[in-house]
Amino acid sequence: MENIMKSFKNNSMQWRYFKQSIFFGAVRLSAFIIALALGGILFYIIVNGIGAISWDFITKPPTDSMTKGGIMPAILGTIYLTIGAIAVGLPLGIVSAIYLTEYARQGKVIRLIKVGINCLAGVPSVVFGLFGLGFFVIFLKFGSSILSGSLTLGFLILPTIIGASEEALKSVPQTFREASLSLGVSKWQTIYRIVLPNALPGILTGSILGIGRAAGETAPIMFTAAAYFTAKLPGSIFDEVMALPYHIYVLATAGTNIEATRPIQFGTVLVLVAVVLSIDLIAIIIRSYMRKNKRW
Amino acid sequence: MDSDIIIKLNKVNFYYGQSRALTDITMNFRKNKVSALIGPSGCGKSTLLRLLNRMNDLIDGTRVEGEILFEEKNIYAQNVDPVEIRRKIGMVFQKPNPFPKTIYNNISYGPKLTGIGVEDMDTLVEQSLKRAVLWDEVKDILNKSAMNLSGGQQQRLCIARALAMKPDILLMDEPTSALDPISTAKIEELIEELKKNYTIIIVTHNMQQAARISDETAFFYLGNLVEYNKTEKIFTNPDVKHTEDYITGRFG
Amino acid sequence: MNRHTKEIIIKYVFFTFSLVSIVVLGLIVFSLFREGLPIFGKVSVKDFLLGMEWYPTYDPPSFGIFPLIIGSLIVTIMATSIAVPLGVMAAIYISEIAPQGIKEILKSVIELLAGLPSVVLGFFGMVVVAPWLQDTFDLPTGLNIINASMILAIMAIPTISSISEDALYAVPREFKEASYALGATKFETITRVIIPSALSGISTAVMLGMARAIGETMVVLMVAGGAAAIPEGLFDSVRPMPASIAAEMGEAPFRSAHYQALFAIGIVLFFLTLAFNLIADYVSHKFRQIGSGTL
Repeated sequence: MENIMKSFKNNSMQWRYFKQSIFFGAVRLSAFIIALALGGILFYIIVNGIGAISWDFITKPPTDSMTKGGIMPAILGTIYLTIGAIAVGLPLGIVSAIYLTEYARQGKVIRLIKVGINCLAGVPSVVFGLFGLGFFVIFLKFGSSILSGSLTLGFLILPTIIGASEEALKSVPQTFREASLSLGVSKWQTIYRIVLPNALPGILTGSILGIGRAAGETAPIMFTAAAYFTAKLPGSIFDEVMALPYHIYVLATAGTNIEATRPIQFGTVLVLVAVVLSIDLIAIIIRSYMRKNKRW
Repeated sequence: MDSDIIIKLNKVNFYYGQSRALTDITMNFRKNKVSALIGPSGCGKSTLLRLLNRMNDLIDGTRVEGEILFEEKNIYAQNVDPVEIRRKIGMVFQKPNPFPKTIYNNISYGPKLTGIGVEDMDTLVEQSLKRAVLWDEVKDILNKSAMNLSGGQQQRLCIARALAMKPDILLMDEPTSALDPISTAKIEELIEELKKNYTIIIVTHNMQQAARISDETAFFYLGNLVEYNKTEKIFTNPDVKHTEDYITGRFG
Repeated sequence: MNRHTKEIIIKYVFFTFSLVSIVVLGLIVFSLFREGLPIFGKVSVKDFLLGMEWYPTYDPPSFGIFPLIIGSLIVTIMATSIAVPLGVMAAIYISEIAPQGIKEILKSVIELLAGLPSVVLGFFGMVVVAPWLQDTFDLPTGLNIINASMILAIMAIPTISSISEDALYAVPREFKEASYALGATKFETITRVIIPSALSGISTAVMLGMARAIGETMVVLMVAGGAAAIPEGLFDSVRPMPASIAAEMGEAPFRSAHYQALFAIGIVLFFLTLAFNLIADYVSHKFRQIGSGTL
C-alpha cells in the first residue's frame, strides 16, 4: 500500500496513463500474435490442402507406394482408435469423478488420488507410447493392435475426462442434492437421478475436448497400433490400423518421394485438422449454448 | 403428557471440526404443534434443525454428542439409516429448490424412488399439491418445468414435494426468507393449515412470523438454548431477561 | 440385499475405479522399468546420463544421453521464454481488459490452438517455417533449435494461458475494487494487486507449460533436426529425448540394448515431467491463492 501511495505522489497522471497504454498495447499484441498464429496455420493448411481433397481421396486407399490414391484406411483407423479410447476413458473417468466429488471426504487417500491424476495428466505422450508398448503390446501380448492403441489413448485422456466431469458435477447446485436426500432418497439414487442428468451435458462437452486430443495424437499409437501401410482393413480389434496422424508423419518424413507427395500430405493434414477441430468446435458451441440456457 | 412428545433432545452437543456450534441442548418438540426456533445469525438454530433429519451428515468433519430421540429411538444410534429418518422427517429449505423437472415429476420423485408403494400416483400428486394450496394454480401445467413457477409457487411446490412422502414432521429452514410479502403470507396460512396433520419445526429470523404462526418458541444464542416456552409467553413476558432484550430489539 | 448394503457396495466399487489413475501411473513405472532397467547392466547410470556420445547402432554402441538431455532442456527453456510472456499477457488481456465479445473469441482461439494435433504443428514447422528460416538466415538447415522452440511455444501457450487466466479470474473482486477506490489506474491495479495475488497460479501455469514442452514428441521429432550432439548455437540441430525414442524405437530390435536404452530414456523423461508436475502441484497447494482461488 505504501508503495502505491508513494507512486501516486511521484507520478503525474499523464505518465501513469502513458505507462498504462504501453502495457495495454503489449497485452493486446500478445493476444493478437496468438490469434494470428492459429489463423496463419489454419489458413496455410486450408489453402494448400483443399486442392487434394476429393471424394476419392476420402474414400479410396493409397496406391503406388502411397504416392497416389486416398487415405480412407487412415481415416477409418483414426475413427476406430478414437471410439476405442472413448470406450476406455469415458466410463472410467466419469466413475472416478463421481467418487471424488460425491463420495470422497477430504483425506490423505483423496489427496493422493488427485496428485496421481495430475501426474498422469503430465505424462508425456511418448512415454504413454512406451507404456502401451511395454504393457499392452508385450506384457499382455495384445500385439500392435487397435486394442493396445485404444487402451493407451483411453488412459491418456482419462485425466482430462476426470477433470471435466468433476467440474460438471461440482456445478450441480448442492441444494438439488439436499432436496433429494431430505426426501429420504438414497445417495446413489440422488446421484443417478438428479446429479448425473444435470451434469451430463457438461461432462460430455468437457470430455469431447479430450476425445479430440485422442484423435490427433501420434506418439502414443506409433508403437502400439499404427501401421506404416496396410492394404486390408482391420478385421478385429487385434489388427493393426493406419491412422491419420501417423500417416502424416510417415508421408512427411519417410515416404518414397517426399516432395512429390506434398499435396497428399497437405490434404491429409487438412482432413485431420478438420476432424479434430470440428470435434472441439462442437464442444465449444454446445457449451456456450448451455451457458446461455442454464436455469440455475 | 409424554405421549405428546415426538422429538426429544438430550444433552446434545454439536461440533464443526474443533468449534462447538451447539452446547448441551435439552428440549422436547410436541406433536402437531408449530415450534419456532429464533435467534441472531450464527446462533445455531439452523444447525439444530438440520440435526433432526441428519442433514449435517453431509458436511465433512462434523460430530454429534448426546442423543436425539424420535419416537423413542435415538436417530444417531449406530444401526440407524439416515435415509429412513429423512423419509419420516421432511424438510423445506431457505431457497426454493425444485428439481429441473416437470411439476408432476417433482412431486412423484420421492415416492417413486423410495418405493413406498404408491397405488395411484396421480391422486398422490393432486393431494400433495392441494395440501400445499398450489393445485388450482398448476393443475393445467403439471407437465411444465417447475423452473417456470414464481418463487412463492416454487416454495409451495417444495412443501408439496415434502408432503408427498407423508412425513410425520416437517422441518422448515427460513422458508419465507427468499420470498415477497404476499407469498410469505400464503406460506404462513399454509403452515396454519398443515399443523392439523403434521408437526412443524420452523427456523425463522422474523420474529413477527414466529409470533404469528408458532405455538412454542425457542430462543437460541451462541449455540445455547436460552429459553423455550409457549410463544405467547415468550413474546409477552419471557422468563429470561436476555430473551426480552432480543425480542424488543435491544440487540441482534 | 438391502439398500444400505447396496449403497456401501456402490461406494467401494466407485472408490476402486477412482484408483485407476494411480494404478496406471504404477503400471507406467512398471513397464518402463521392466523394459528399460536392464540397460544399466551394460552401462552405468552415470555413463548413461552424462555420456557425451549417443551411437546406439555402432559397434560397439555407446549410450550416452547427455546431448539428448541438453537438447530437451534447451528447446524447453527457449520455448518457455517465448510462451510465458505471450501466454501470460494474453491471459491478462482476456481476463482483465478485453471486451466480452473479443474475450469469448480469444478463449475459443486458445482452445482450438490447444486442439491442434502436434503432428500438424510439426508438419507446419517442417514445410513452412524451416524453408523460411533456411532462406532468410542462409542456414544449412531450417530444422533447428529456433524452429523447434517456436513451434513448441505455440503448443505450450494454451496451457500457460488458460491456467493463468483461471488464476487471474479467481482474484477476489474486492481486491480490485479496493485498489480502484484508492485511485489506482487499471495498469497499476493489474501489476500491483492482481498479478501478485495470482502469482502462485501463474507459476503453476509456467511449470505445467514447461512439462508440456519437455514431453512433446512430434514437434521435436519433425522439426529439431535430430543431431545428437551438444549444440553450439541456436541455429544448430538437436535431438531431444522424446525425438530419439520416437525415431529409433521402430528400428531397435526387440529387447536389444538399444531398445532398452530407449525405454531408459523414457524413465528419465517420465521422472523429469513428474518432478515438474509435483512442483506445480506443491506450488498451487502451498501458496494457495487468497480468496476463492482454487486450481
